[in-house]
Amino acid sequence: MKIFKNILLVTVLSFFGTGCTKWVDYDPMETYEIVADVYFQSPNDYEAALVGVYDPLQWMYLNILIGDIASDNSFSGGESATDVIGIQQIDNMLHTPDNENLTSIWKFCYEGINRANYLEENKDKLEFDRKDELYGEVSFLRAYYYFELVKFFGDVPLFTSRRLIATDSGTLTRTSASEVYAQIEKDLQVAIDVLPETQSQKGRATIYAAQALLGKVYLYQDKFTEAASSFENVIGMFGLVNNYGDQFLKTGENGPESIFEVQYSNESEWYDWEFTPQGTEGNFGVIHNGPRAFNGDDYASGWSFNIPTTDLFNSFEDGDTRRDPSILDIVAFATNTGATYAEGYKHTGYFNHKYIPRAGESGAQTELNYLTNYRAIRYADVLLMAAEANNRGGIDESKAQGYLNEVRRRAFGDNDHDILKTGSALTQAIWDERNFELSMEGHRFFDLVRTGEAASKIDGFVTGKHELFPVPQQEIDISSLSQNPGY
Amino acid sequence: MKRFFTTILLLMFGFIVNAQELQINGNVISATDQETLPGVSVVVKGTTQGTSTDFDGNYSISVASSDAVLVFSFMGMRTKEVVVKDGGIINVELSEDSALLEDIVVIGYGTQIAGKVSGAVSTVNKKAVEALQPVRAEDALQGQATGVNVIGNGSPGGKPVVLIRGIPSYTGTDPLVVIDGVTLTLDDLNALNPNDIESMNVLKDAAMSAIYGVKGGNGVIVIKTKSGKRNAKTTFGFDSSYGIQEVTNTVDVLNASEYAAILNEASSNAGQGLVFDDISNLGRGTDWQKEVLVNAPISTVNFTASGGSDKSSFYLSAGYLSQEGIVGGGDKSYFNRGNVTLNYNTSITDKLTFIANTGFVNIQGKSLSENNIGSVLSNALNFDPMVKPYDENGKFGTSETITQEIKNPLAQIDDTHNENNTNKVTGKLELQYDVIDGLKFTTRLGYSYVDVYSKNFNPLVYYGVGHNSTNAHEDLSPIVTEDEEGVKTSTHNRVSESKTNYISYTWELYGNYNFNIDEMHNFETVLGLSMNKNSGDNVTANAQDIPFNSWDYADVGAATGDLQSQTSGSWQYVTRNMSYFTRINYDFDSKYLFSFTGRVDGSTSFGQNNKFAFFPSGSLGWVISKEDFFESEFIDNLKVRGSYGSVGNDNIPYQFPKISTFPKYTFDGNIVSGSSMQSIPNYDVSWESQVQVNVGVDLTFYNNKFNITTDYFQKTVDDLLFSPTLSLYLGEPINPPSNIGKTKSSGFEFSFGYNDTYSNGLQLSTNVNVTTTVNNVEEINNGDKFIWGSGYGIPWKDLTRFEEGFSPGYFYGYKTDGIFQNQDEIDNHATQDNAQPGDIRFADVNKDGVINADDRTKIGDPFPNFTLGWTLSLNYQNWDFSTFIYASVGGDIYRAYERNLNYTNRFASTLGRWTGEGTSNTEPRVTFVDNNDNIRPSDRYVEDGSYARIKNIQLGYTLPQSIYNSSFLTSVRFYAQIKNAYTFTNYSGYSPEISSGVMDTGIDRGTYPQPRVWQLGVSVKF
Repeated sequence: MKIFKNILLVTVLSFFGTGCTKWVDYDPMETYEIVADVYFQSPNDYEAALVGVYDPLQWMYLNILIGDIASDNSFSGGESATDVIGIQQIDNMLHTPDNENLTSIWKFCYEGINRANYLEENKDKLEFDRKDELYGEVSFLRAYYYFELVKFFGDVPLFTSRRLIATDSGTLTRTSASEVYAQIEKDLQVAIDVLPETQSQKGRATIYAAQALLGKVYLYQDKFTEAASSFENVIGMFGLVNNYGDQFLKTGENGPESIFEVQYSNESEWYDWEFTPQGTEGNFGVIHNGPRAFNGDDYASGWSFNIPTTDLFNSFEDGDTRRDPSILDIVAFATNTGATYAEGYKHTGYFNHKYIPRAGESGAQTELNYLTNYRAIRYADVLLMAAEANNRGGIDESKAQGYLNEVRRRAFGDNDHDILKTGSALTQAIWDERNFELSMEGHRFFDLVRTGEAASKIDGFVTGKHELFPVPQQEIDISSLSQNPGY
Repeated sequence: MKRFFTTILLLMFGFIVNAQELQINGNVISATDQETLPGVSVVVKGTTQGTSTDFDGNYSISVASSDAVLVFSFMGMRTKEVVVKDGGIINVELSEDSALLEDIVVIGYGTQIAGKVSGAVSTVNKKAVEALQPVRAEDALQGQATGVNVIGNGSPGGKPVVLIRGIPSYTGTDPLVVIDGVTLTLDDLNALNPNDIESMNVLKDAAMSAIYGVKGGNGVIVIKTKSGKRNAKTTFGFDSSYGIQEVTNTVDVLNASEYAAILNEASSNAGQGLVFDDISNLGRGTDWQKEVLVNAPISTVNFTASGGSDKSSFYLSAGYLSQEGIVGGGDKSYFNRGNVTLNYNTSITDKLTFIANTGFVNIQGKSLSENNIGSVLSNALNFDPMVKPYDENGKFGTSETITQEIKNPLAQIDDTHNENNTNKVTGKLELQYDVIDGLKFTTRLGYSYVDVYSKNFNPLVYYGVGHNSTNAHEDLSPIVTEDEEGVKTSTHNRVSESKTNYISYTWELYGNYNFNIDEMHNFETVLGLSMNKNSGDNVTANAQDIPFNSWDYADVGAATGDLQSQTSGSWQYVTRNMSYFTRINYDFDSKYLFSFTGRVDGSTSFGQNNKFAFFPSGSLGWVISKEDFFESEFIDNLKVRGSYGSVGNDNIPYQFPKISTFPKYTFDGNIVSGSSMQSIPNYDVSWESQVQVNVGVDLTFYNNKFNITTDYFQKTVDDLLFSPTLSLYLGEPINPPSNIGKTKSSGFEFSFGYNDTYSNGLQLSTNVNVTTTVNNVEEINNGDKFIWGSGYGIPWKDLTRFEEGFSPGYFYGYKTDGIFQNQDEIDNHATQDNAQPGDIRFADVNKDGVINADDRTKIGDPFPNFTLGWTLSLNYQNWDFSTFIYASVGGDIYRAYERNLNYTNRFASTLGRWTGEGTSNTEPRVTFVDNNDNIRPSDRYVEDGSYARIKNIQLGYTLPQSIYNSSFLTSVRFYAQIKNAYTFTNYSGYSPEISSGVMDTGIDRGTYPQPRVWQLGVSVKF
């Protein structure tokens, strides 16, 4: 009897149980989650994903700071020699593969690339009106991210067809820089084919942004003919603003000289330090450039990084209207206005005036929400790059002079400072002009490396090593990538 | 047992009554809980004459002579003999006999007689809990239960780390907690009043925990709360204690004069000018630790009532505990807990019993930042000693040189405003149906409903001009700035309020069928099913511009900020489990023991390709002492046992490809929402199964006075769950967990106990136990063979690793090799860029002639080689004494509270710094420009964290019976107690016991010290 009862019990319990296996299935809708399987069903989903590809542009503040700190333009600064050690090391050319700031650059660029590739992967799911143009923006952005990577690290893993998943970890190797460049060129050509001349919303990539970037990419490879012809498509389509300094103010954002600008806003009410710069819509780079403990008008306190050197300040010719909008002489400012500030590490008395924290331009947690856009590609930059391509490529010296002097005339307000040199003297003049025009905008280090001037201009620069930054040690450990020479 | 039957027989066949007798009356109570004992057999020794106590524990008996001896016996109690002498009233206390084999162990879905257990269980009974008076129940397991490593948390109400038999898993190490059959989590123990605990059983091996299947991988703590006894007079209890907590030691930092001198030296060593021109009159300056560390009270009050009729019984308790923080004091840091518990059971019919356990808890707390780089203690240790706590205007002093993160800790305490209020209802509704003798069905609904409200207010604060935390002018008015277009922007204060609900319920249905065949073959079987759902949801609202910048008005509704600044958010989760379980215990004449347990678990956490898992286990035991050939007067019980089986772990989120709508970008100055793929699913991910082996021996000898239990265990995991660090070129998505690793833990446990009552009445009980555990990560298949665990500092420095071939959470960094005394030594050493004389010489571990990241190696292991607990209790007449010492030997600590910025304060060791050749070979020179990176993670910061701590000393006095014979009282006991009385350690920080998650273990970021508590208490029963 007892045995029978046991058997009965087993039977009852197991019948009861089998109906309940659904109990352990989980539907993400229960917790209001959107899953990939139901995504990409309307053009809005594609547009949203594209916004996601733009997003990491905002995280690239270190790319810009390092462009000057690593060069002869500026010092690390900060509170002390140990304040953001990664930046301090880069200033002294002592950076090592475990530099966390460089690691974040690597990661952020690849997040942008993976987001672009995720759109690539889902390209065939839906047809809609703006599709070609949308994918043109995707191609432009992927090219932008790969160009940042190749500038910093040289050979990097290259992939374009889909977002990588866990099983792809450790399977890739570094692709040669020339192949990466080829992909960048290809992406930009795609973008040029489909992007419009103007976009309805400021901040989106246009055909000119793609052509200007393509020219720059050619120039970085010393492909002067291709560079010159690509720039030629842009020249004449933009103009220089009359007053050089105006374009770096809030009112000058997305102005007539701006070809591509990374957009920021102070309205995201961001307070979370932990998830910065990814979470905020603000420009996290700006707070780094401010004077410490500042108390006065016009500007706001910052962390005194990226300190322009006295040499840079003194390098400007008399009458060059670009010096003061580029570099703030805090000593003079304090004397004139009664403002006070504290001296940080490697204090020179100068600050990056183009991207300084300005009073009233942030919100919420003020350090994290500066609205200042980053003027990534300016028309003046394009003119100088076109001049260089025409000059160094032996294509058209007078065009080169013309473009150079267009920039100088705006700077000096007259024709008296025109440069009529030719050949390598003109080359040097263009290179020098680039820094007068573009200092503290994150270009200098890469220009010095590109032109071979780095070793002579940067203390501690070791030729054959410092042209490239080290591949992050973490990536080498995980993915068994090779390291750049010298590290 | 035999005696029990004898008594029954006596009762049945009546008594022989003699004419010239002494009449004796009295009352029998239990020594442990002072409750009356009905049904105790009272027999005149050497005769068949006897009686038993009534419902109120009273008896009455007549004896022939004053030489007669009364024998009091009761199941589970130590038998007591009393000489009659003059007769009259003889009241007796019977104490529990823990050595008796009839001890009952509460296991999953049933109970088992201890003598028949063939798995590994540690038991902590209510006596031990009462002696320790813990704030949280886990604290009572430390050093009391073998195989359990508890790393205490000094913070008020703080959750300790509890590791049962090592760290086999990466994804969570908390054991499962089962209270009165209801499955809960370790977090729920903050709500349990330790005074309500009847017993805690720790199920350690697979044989015991496999009945909980996928939840049992980290061990199971089974807690039984007190309940009333049927047919017992209602008894009342009142317990109260009051104590003062104090910090036992402080960290030596520089005083103002030393600080200024060191800074001047550091500055000039860096080729810079003096920081302070005149340092002669600085004196000692401010001792910030003294300013923030206070003596804080802790108090408890408990009322209990319990009793029962023949149909029902109840246990009712109400308790309140209040603990203030020794860091910052009770205004800003406290833990208050109020409990009301009712455990009730009643017989609806002869066969049907209904049980309802209900507990309501309210927890209120405020907290200050602790155990992190921004904590009050971290600021106290690193802040400028030249700053006065308050300036001449009575405002908080500010530093001119320290303008980053580190602030006046008093100002920080003043500016911290938060509160938490938790209401929680837990309990169960249970029906038991006794079908026939031995067959019982149980259905149970266990539930836990938690409602947490929390509020946090960040006021406008001023820590000096330019301090990066300052967001107000000195008068705390907001900083308003105006841009070139005249648009004004202001800083704001900010309030955040959130409501979170956690709901979990478990429905279970199971049958127990116990039977025997031929009186020799004993079976105990269980078969059942369990369905469980856990869910949580939260709503948070934030707003800014609180009137008057005041905590009094800190409320989202009271905020005056514009609509755009009011933000909100929510989250929710749900997990479900579905399980079937069975257990068959068989023994032959209590001599040969056999047990099989199996559980099938389904979980929402598992990938869709792997929904169900099966966890079997089995065990065998042999009670050698019951064999006929085993004839020993000396040995009372000898048992060998072994078990083998598997348990699991499903501590992973459910798997699906999540599209996040968080990414945003700005077009035309407007923020536009976007999307990105945030998590990549792994549909094949499944449970982690641990294979556990256990062998053990139980031995009692010399009239049950000595007992020894020893166990050896091994746990292996072949399909370890974790989210590996994947190639950085995958970007920033959340990577899925995978079953890709192997770990192995093994250890040895030994417990030795001695209990005796001497002829002079002295009772002695002592126990020594030792636990060793070795953990090793056998394999990680993620390319680089390691995952960073945790680290410290700003900027972040990685320190601990989960790495193949090492124990989990070990410290990784550079090895130091003294100080470079001169340039020659630098030149002769491996290339170490930028080193100067006076800098640390780092060891060239890989011998490649260059000091770089490849030279990092293992520099420490935070987990102890062994832990030891020693308990001693003595009872003599009305006095009782107990003490408990806990030792943890061989663990390392990493000193991570030193900020080492140019202007932060330094530590006393700096006074012995290198100042020239031969001055120091341990402490580097001080300099503002540390190009050698002397502060990189290295063994310089690693210290031996071994310690032995006198956790408890308690002396109690119970008023003699004569005092309250005529009153309503039955027992009054007073006691004095010192907790954490003294710690023997070489560690230089506050406390060598650092509790903050497994991978953070041993990283001292300024840990909350374990307070010493001086406590007085009273316990009354009536």
